[in-house]
Amino acid sequence: MSCPHAIRDLKPTPLLRLRAHPLRIALVGNPNVGKSVIFGRLTGRYVTVSNYPGTTVAVTRGRASVGAEVCDIIDTPGVNAVEGPLSEDEKVTRDLLLTGGAELVVQVADARNLRRALLLTSQLADFGLPMILVLNMIDEARARGVDMDAEGLSAELGIPVIEAVAPEGRGIAELREALAAAARPRVAQDQGRSHIQWADETARRFRTVGTLSLGRVQEWLGRAVRQPLTGLPILCVVLYLTYLFVGVLGAQTLVGLLEDGLFGAYLNPWATAAAAHIPIALVRDFLVGEYGLITMGLTYAIAIVLPVVTTFFLIFGFLEDSGYIPRLAIFSDRLFRSMGLNGRAVLPMVLGLGCDTMATMTTRILSTPKERLIAILLLALGVPCSAQLATIMGILGGISFAAVVTLFGVVLTQLVLVGFLASLVLTGDRSDFIMELPPLRLPRFRNLMTKTALRVRWYLGEAVPLFLIGTVLLFLLDRIGGLAWLAGAARPLVSGVLGLPPKAAEIFVMGFLRRDYGAAGLFLMARDGALTHVQAVVALTVMTLFVPCVANFLMIVKERGLRTGLAILSFVTVIAVGTGGLLNAVLGFFHVSF
Amino acid sequence: MSVSEFRPLSHLKPGARGRIARVTRDLTSRAERLAAMGVSPGATVRVLQTFPGIVFECDQTELAVERMVARAILVELE
Repeated sequence: MSCPHAIRDLKPTPLLRLRAHPLRIALVGNPNVGKSVIFGRLTGRYVTVSNYPGTTVAVTRGRASVGAEVCDIIDTPGVNAVEGPLSEDEKVTRDLLLTGGAELVVQVADARNLRRALLLTSQLADFGLPMILVLNMIDEARARGVDMDAEGLSAELGIPVIEAVAPEGRGIAELREALAAAARPRVAQDQGRSHIQWADETARRFRTVGTLSLGRVQEWLGRAVRQPLTGLPILCVVLYLTYLFVGVLGAQTLVGLLEDGLFGAYLNPWATAAAAHIPIALVRDFLVGEYGLITMGLTYAIAIVLPVVTTFFLIFGFLEDSGYIPRLAIFSDRLFRSMGLNGRAVLPMVLGLGCDTMATMTTRILSTPKERLIAILLLALGVPCSAQLATIMGILGGISFAAVVTLFGVVLTQLVLVGFLASLVLTGDRSDFIMELPPLRLPRFRNLMTKTALRVRWYLGEAVPLFLIGTVLLFLLDRIGGLAWLAGAARPLVSGVLGLPPKAAEIFVMGFLRRDYGAAGLFLMARDGALTHVQAVVALTVMTLFVPCVANFLMIVKERGLRTGLAILSFVTVIAVGTGGLLNAVLGFFHVSF
Repeated sequence: MSVSEFRPLSHLKPGARGRIARVTRDLTSRAERLAAMGVSPGATVRVLQTFPGIVFECDQTELAVERMVARAILVELE
């Protein structure tokens, strides 16, 4: 599916030469056109691929061999423009080009949107780098009746133009071959015209749009999910199915199997028996005691949280790849606007349900500093991550539906309230709500599996060590009497204000390391009957409103600086405890027992 | 052709089709952001929905915008 004639006409420059460093090739293009898929195909490295604009918000590098030469391939965040007003992720790409981070640009385009692609080509040409244009998703374009004259376009631009279907690997070999023929394209400024005029006219010359429209099913489904009358019920069904899959299958069935089965019946008794041979009591307790590395740390991480995050990542990946999530922006735009944001914020917020740390990075897709700050604050305050959702569902699901509604009601109210106040207090502007809706697609099974496996591996690498460190910390604190002291010192707050048993103070120490670790502690306390229903709801609400984890805090510092990070941390802590106290008082006043 | 035949996208009903005649430049950054997404004179548009937000198809791109933005897009109806 290439255009060999067009390439042959161009004079290939020899690619193999002596260089101080490998040839650096940047993959640049509009958002959601498949740059990351092509990156994966060229380098063999997987970077997260989803069906929404803004999946890639930072630069990823990988190696690829082209002929006899090894090249550096750079995957970049999608850009709608490289001049004019840019969002922070777009600046990442522009800065890479400005600072000479690449010697060659492969522009990846969605074949359906030739006009937009050419507008970008014209702007990219200003950087003076040799280029290649890849028309990706040519199959979807043809299916929609859009056809292109790639050879003609190649001759007009003076650069190779490759047709590709990246997920199937079509066009990748041609792209490798064409690298040697890359050249600076002939574009608008060479003809003394504006980017847009040139793009408009060139697109019209080399593209034919047939009368074919979207497939019936796609058109119908698209309408169903975006119109309020059908869209809102669909949202409820999606949430309910997610609950069934994660809250019931994950948090109850699988956790039960792993915790009572694997750990309860085999691993822990076996480890305890084995540890009985260790003569030193301290070491024994360190491994299998109350705060034992195996009996607490591993059990929490593997038996309680892992099944839940795995089921969540699966369903979340499915939703990501389907193109459904950005459509929620249509319904939530008004609500977000009252919080100084706009509908685009739905992306980082929903991603926060997967992992708040990652989502904090995704706030780069928002347009103004004020919006990013509010979004980061709200993520830290009240968006529970997958691991935490799991434990919440595990505990509250066992109490009553009213308990679930109370917790989410309080947290949601708090989010809206804080967002509203923040939008009044903080200076700066809100940007326009303009959002591209990606096509609805049936997710590819392989991408879903790869993505989920990658995320589970990430969880194991990121969270499990923290769980273990937390366990060691608790063990040490317990040994030196720190836990008893802390429980005593925090008693007025924990027992007085929040009405919780003193042991809950430990849980909050754990919660500071990771909210889900603390929540897992609550999970066990609740099951052992150490918490009343009201106490469970109050404790979980406070935990949910806490800063998610150390990693999230560090990410906030990285994105917004230490001062902002500390300010958010203290603000969130005050809100969390204050809300918990208020909730406890209100529930007590009305004698609610769930 | 008189200007009165151009109507702002915010006033169109679902199903309406046309071509973009002009994007008002009261806010340059708004016009530039729209242009970067393909919303510029000459592009074909089809209104898909007007509530709760305005959703329309511009060439082959489906876009959701708020009313304020739609007001800046002037369409020549087919």
